[in-house]
Amino acid sequence: MADESTLSIQTERVEKAVVVSPLGRVDGSNAAVLESAIQEQLDAGEKVLVFDFKDLNYISSAGLRVFLMTARRLQGEGGKTLFFGLSGPIAHIFEISGFSAILSIYENRGDALAAL
Amino acid sequence: MNKSPTRLLVVDDEEDLELLIRQRFRRHIRQGELDFVFAHNGKEAIEKLAEDPDIRLVLSDINMPVMDGLTLLSQLEAIRPEIRAVIVSAYGDMENIRTAMNRGAFDFVTKPIDFKDLEITIRKTLRHIDTMQNALESRDRLVAITRELEVATQVQMSILPRDHAHSKTHEIQGMMIPAREIGGDFYNFFGLDDALIGLIIADVSGKGIPAALFTMVTQTLLKGAARNFTSPARCLSEVNELLAEDNETCVFVTVFYGILDLRDGTFRYCNGGHNPPRLIRGDSRVETLPTTGNVVLGVFPGHDYVDGEIRLAPGDALFLYTDGITEAQNARIEEFGEERLDEKLSGLNQATAREVVNGVVDAVHLFVEDTPQSDDITCIALRFNAVLSA
Repeated sequence: MADESTLSIQTERVEKAVVVSPLGRVDGSNAAVLESAIQEQLDAGEKVLVFDFKDLNYISSAGLRVFLMTARRLQGEGGKTLFFGLSGPIAHIFEISGFSAILSIYENRGDALAAL
Repeated sequence: MNKSPTRLLVVDDEEDLELLIRQRFRRHIRQGELDFVFAHNGKEAIEKLAEDPDIRLVLSDINMPVMDGLTLLSQLEAIRPEIRAVIVSAYGDMENIRTAMNRGAFDFVTKPIDFKDLEITIRKTLRHIDTMQNALESRDRLVAITRELEVATQVQMSILPRDHAHSKTHEIQGMMIPAREIGGDFYNFFGLDDALIGLIIADVSGKGIPAALFTMVTQTLLKGAARNFTSPARCLSEVNELLAEDNETCVFVTVFYGILDLRDGTFRYCNGGHNPPRLIRGDSRVETLPTTGNVVLGVFPGHDYVDGEIRLAPGDALFLYTDGITEAQNARIEEFGEERLDEKLSGLNQATAREVVNGVVDAVHLFVEDTPQSDDITCIALRFNAVLSA
């Protein structure tokens, strides 16, 4: 189980994509950790990132910024950014902020990977 | 390295010592690492210190004519507190050495001087002085930054509307409580003409100074756009394009902008990814303003912002807020939440705008108890009292 008060990040290669799973919470205090973990993937030339939010409990605006930056950068490089597994509160934030209408969000892992 | 040599003051009544030191440290002197100044008693030392601000370390004997080393030490603290002193005295003079240490000497070496030991002691003392100086400089910088932040807080607060509008037709009250010295939220309200009242609330991603800088830019752009367009959506589109230019770091801002027409209660608005405001009906029903399906400003150029519209009846009130209210947490990590907000607002259906704002903020404070505030708390209430007659 993910510790609810901190952030850990797991990555897994699935064919051409890398599934990145942030576990716990992303806020101003650890957004930089997330940013450098994603940066590592981008520096390695990855073009398709799939974010698994199943075990993400909380995200602040500082955390959202990092995902936006990733999505925009990959879009500019002809890559793709996908999201799946948004829990109630996270889905609510994505809804209010308008991201759900603009980002590629899927119900579950199967749907997300099938969309690639 | 073209660093100027570190200057040391040697105070001793033995004339030979000057020669000895120059000889033993000749390599350091030649290489421009150390530089020595000499005095033969405490009084002379004080004169040298007065005319030479570059001296960083004093090596002093204790027993000297005119003014001894212990007296020099007790005056050193007052005239040059940043200087450290190393006492050079006979081992048999331990009682005086102890007194010197108690008066603030940093260390001591014994006579006859072991120059190897003296060199180590000098280096150690200089390292200590460097560390101290760095700490002091950091402290001074911190003090300066804190002072600047205080000014920034005043600047930020001063651009929020101060005249809390109150007239026959309507009244408005806003409040912002930043979590840190300066905030990433803002609100504004203004008359576009005699009949149209603009209301803005916004929240920039992140906190502190970076967020505050983005806040100022957004606020200024919105002010300009509001003068040019009477459609909130048009304003937000305009500001979005400008903010999205060169926004590499993807800082974003959620903005709600609405315009109330006092002639018939029509409220046209556009919601750029912000928490939907509430409409408190006179009969205590609380409605959530439908979103306009729009995204936050600053990261998606070309996004099409659209206007929504509702109608207020006299006696209705609007409540705009940022997530610092709904996401305020108590010690049990529970959030204040939208349900508590709606319940509170429902009970404020007959309240003045000021009472609505104070009522909600008080409820949040009561809920979080003494848990420190983690996000800016901002809200505006507008009560529509009566239609503006022609």
